[in-house]
Amino acid sequence: MANTLLSLNEATRTVNSGSNKVTLLDNINLQVKEGEFISLMGPSGSGKSTLLNCIGMLDSFTGGGYTFLGEPVHSMKEKNRSKLYKEYIGFVFQAYHLIDELTVWENIETPLLYKNVKSLERRGLVADMLDRFNIVGKKDLFPIQLSGGQQQLVGIARALIGKPKLILADEPTGNLNSKQSTEIMELFSQLNKEGVTIIQATHSEKNASYGSRIINLLDGKIV
Amino acid sequence: MIKNYFKIAWRNIMRNKVFSFINIIGLTIGLSASFVIGLMIYYDYTFDNFHKDGDRIYRIVTDFKAPEGEFYNSGVTIALEDAINSNINFELVSGFYIERPSKVENKENDIEVKWPNHVIYTNEDYFNLFDYKFIAGHKSDALSKPNSVILTKARAALYFPKMLPSEIIGKTLVYNDSINISVRGIVENFKQQSDFVFQEFISHPTILQTRLREDFQNKNWNNTNSASQLYVKISENGNLNEIQKQLDALALEHLDEEAIKYNQSRQFVLQPLRDIHFNDKYGIYDWTQGQASKSLLRNLALIAIFLLLLGCVNFINLNTAQATQRAKEIGVRKTLGGSKKQLIVQFMGETFLLVVISSVLSLILSRWLISIFSDFVPQGLSFELFKAPLVISGILVLLLIVTLLSGFYPAFMLSKFNPVSVLKNQIVVNGNKAKLRKVLTVFQFTIAQVFIIATLLVGKQINYLLNKDMGFKTDAIISVYSPRSETELSKKELYTQKLKAIPQIKGLSIGGNPPASFSTNSTNATFIDGEKEIQTGLQFIHGDTNYLNVFELNLLAGRTRRNDTVKELVVNETFAKKIGFLNPIDAVGNSVILSDENVPIVGVMADFHQRSLRTGIEPMALIGDWYRPRFSQFQAVHMSLKSESSENLRMTLKKIENEYKSVYTEVEDFRLVFMDETVQQFYNREEKVSRLLNWATGLSILISCLGLFGLVIYTTNRRVKEIGVRKVLGASLLQINTLLCKEFLTLVAIAFIIAIPIAWYGISNWLQDFAYKTSIGFWVFLISGCAMLLFALIVISIKTLQAANANPVNSLRSE
Repeated sequence: MANTLLSLNEATRTVNSGSNKVTLLDNINLQVKEGEFISLMGPSGSGKSTLLNCIGMLDSFTGGGYTFLGEPVHSMKEKNRSKLYKEYIGFVFQAYHLIDELTVWENIETPLLYKNVKSLERRGLVADMLDRFNIVGKKDLFPIQLSGGQQQLVGIARALIGKPKLILADEPTGNLNSKQSTEIMELFSQLNKEGVTIIQATHSEKNASYGSRIINLLDGKIV
Repeated sequence: MIKNYFKIAWRNIMRNKVFSFINIIGLTIGLSASFVIGLMIYYDYTFDNFHKDGDRIYRIVTDFKAPEGEFYNSGVTIALEDAINSNINFELVSGFYIERPSKVENKENDIEVKWPNHVIYTNEDYFNLFDYKFIAGHKSDALSKPNSVILTKARAALYFPKMLPSEIIGKTLVYNDSINISVRGIVENFKQQSDFVFQEFISHPTILQTRLREDFQNKNWNNTNSASQLYVKISENGNLNEIQKQLDALALEHLDEEAIKYNQSRQFVLQPLRDIHFNDKYGIYDWTQGQASKSLLRNLALIAIFLLLLGCVNFINLNTAQATQRAKEIGVRKTLGGSKKQLIVQFMGETFLLVVISSVLSLILSRWLISIFSDFVPQGLSFELFKAPLVISGILVLLLIVTLLSGFYPAFMLSKFNPVSVLKNQIVVNGNKAKLRKVLTVFQFTIAQVFIIATLLVGKQINYLLNKDMGFKTDAIISVYSPRSETELSKKELYTQKLKAIPQIKGLSIGGNPPASFSTNSTNATFIDGEKEIQTGLQFIHGDTNYLNVFELNLLAGRTRRNDTVKELVVNETFAKKIGFLNPIDAVGNSVILSDENVPIVGVMADFHQRSLRTGIEPMALIGDWYRPRFSQFQAVHMSLKSESSENLRMTLKKIENEYKSVYTEVEDFRLVFMDETVQQFYNREEKVSRLLNWATGLSILISCLGLFGLVIYTTNRRVKEIGVRKVLGASLLQINTLLCKEFLTLVAIAFIIAIPIAWYGISNWLQDFAYKTSIGFWVFLISGCAMLLFALIVISIKTLQAANANPVNSLRSE
């Protein structure tokens, strides 16, 4: 029996839009075990991205409980939360969000810088990662010189470099053609087999089918 | 990590070339000014700070108070030293006497030096007070006997070229043809900045063999000569108040009757060693060096600070304006685990890199600036001073401050972005930040505006000073001075005779100084009106009977003097009023007492300005050459010329010089002075202020306009789409331009309104120094405001016209 990676207990997020109170996430209860590959589905505006951001600690729930690896995130200080996050979570975006000013190598290296990894060790890790993704030849290129699929590869490599337990992917193939999509999803599948927990948000039934579990969201509620 | 930061910083600088350029220019100007001015301050403040126990060393100086005003003398009466020598409050008392020998000879090597400077008569205590390094000889016995001298290394090299210090000891020098003095010591010249420029130290008793013998045999309390200097070192628990009381008591005890009668008093004052370099009341020993001025340094420092602030403001403005462009990077970095602190460090690193680039440029520029501003920069200051440890650490601290000042706010603001909204492209430009940029822009333009107004008004005042009627003829007047040694009148008369043959010369007069000059010669005059006694100072100008005509001085009443030697006065109106005659004619025929002698007033001339217009008109009298033939006050031949073309003028001047050479055959000392140039020299200081202001104004306008340009580029780029839509809807080029300019011109206008009272206050303060001042006209403010608006408009229009001209299809297509 795998350990519980995170659990949400009646987690809620509301924001004030003008004078109206808008509920983005409504009493979400969710348990994620290590090694799961979860697909979040639902129409635009159903709260997929918000849920991912909140799980990824970029945003926070406004109500309810959030436990990550047994630690209560909802009552944690910013500093500890950031530590937890740096250690265990990696992000993959629809629009890749590589830093335009940095080369492929430097983009992949950046999370290690923030974890204060030593220079020699960094070099080794980044080289391994480039090797694994077959992009060694592109290490000195800037994002603008790469195709969409290649950029997303770099994005995933960057998310993986810190050896996270959990990868959060927000429509990772949304900007890619179907061939590239398949490649990326195959990669996720492979990673999941190696033990990384993945939560992805997606519109596509096909992509969702790669997951071990599908969660449907509508208007901020799990249905 | 650090390397990574710098790499990104460098790429960012290269990517935004225009903005980086503006930032670097602004910071470079500010830093260069700060470096050079900082160096000047360091230079002036490190004078004589290396002496052991320097804070306990004082010079005793003399202040005189009289009804006519206060006078200051850096010396003391020779008698004072003996009177305080045994005072227990002083650890050391050392006096010295500055006296230039007329000639020094090294007969052995056949070397003769005339009038060597910086020679003093002193004793061993001087070397106990100031720590000189002896290269040869010993401090303890070098000056113990009469006829001994200690030379500095530099001076020894002059008298005994190519000889070792040890060889020079014991050699003999002959002073003033008759005094044999042997060299008993050689000291190192001070390596640090020092006002103690003395090169030759002759043992004190030797002075009894010179022309000063009598003065030192009967030490007179009532004679004060600035050559007689007195230094003391206060003992460790010495009480300054008590010392001052004792000095006051001494001054009172030895006050002479004459002084009491005229209500004069004298005070001996302790001047701290560190004050000597700055206090122009008492001066420094090497007067060719020009006295340091604390107020000048303060003003310069202010200018540097303002320029630096302007550069920082540009930086803050451009970086916050550009924030959205970097938002994505920040968002991504945050999702990758970058903390706020790490991001702040990164942005500060970028700022620091820019500051370092600017400072390297500034160091290169400084070398050049030091030579450009040679009027302000002291002569001894060299680029080498940048190597001093204090200067280096000062520069580093300055760089850090500038980095913090300009980098902190943008870094703080940028690092605050919420990654979720940034990555969703949801950042809205916060109204507050735009407001801050506006405030900072207003601040910049206020400074620039104040400088513009000040420049115009100072220029106006200088113009006023130069063009105000002095009350006598100043143009086409020249004075030719006789050789300095010449005391005979006959040659001047001969010269005048010869000059009469030159047709271009309208009038000729032999006399002393012209009506307005740098020198004054004055005495006390007493007028007895019935039982009332009126005392006043009276300045003299000396001239023959033609003097009034040549300078076109107006005789209001009476007549000029009958001849050059008769004791008669032609006084000015101010004097006549001072002794009680409102109507000039009434003063004629009265007598005033000048040093116990009754001298009649025979005429009254109209008032004229005797010096710069900073000062008012003082009582004055035109007199002849009373002490002839013992000595003559007449040193010059003044002539007025017919107005002519410059070509003819040159010919005339040539003739005047040729005649001079034919009369004075044996000396070459032709000194010809134009009256209007003398008047101009009165205002050298003002010219300096004006030149400084010109620079400050130009630079502050440059920095501010560059910053404005950057902001305009940014704002206009953001509004490209709006401009496109408006054009499609039918807006004209002018309408769009107006729309874009309005926002910025409003800021400049606000700056103008803020600047008016500041500039007005500053300038009226400055004008306080002048007895005669120009009006602070409203139009000056108006013109400067318009000028600033015009500058801003030009800068803004460069970009807005381009944007307004752009084809709307291009800006609207992409969406």
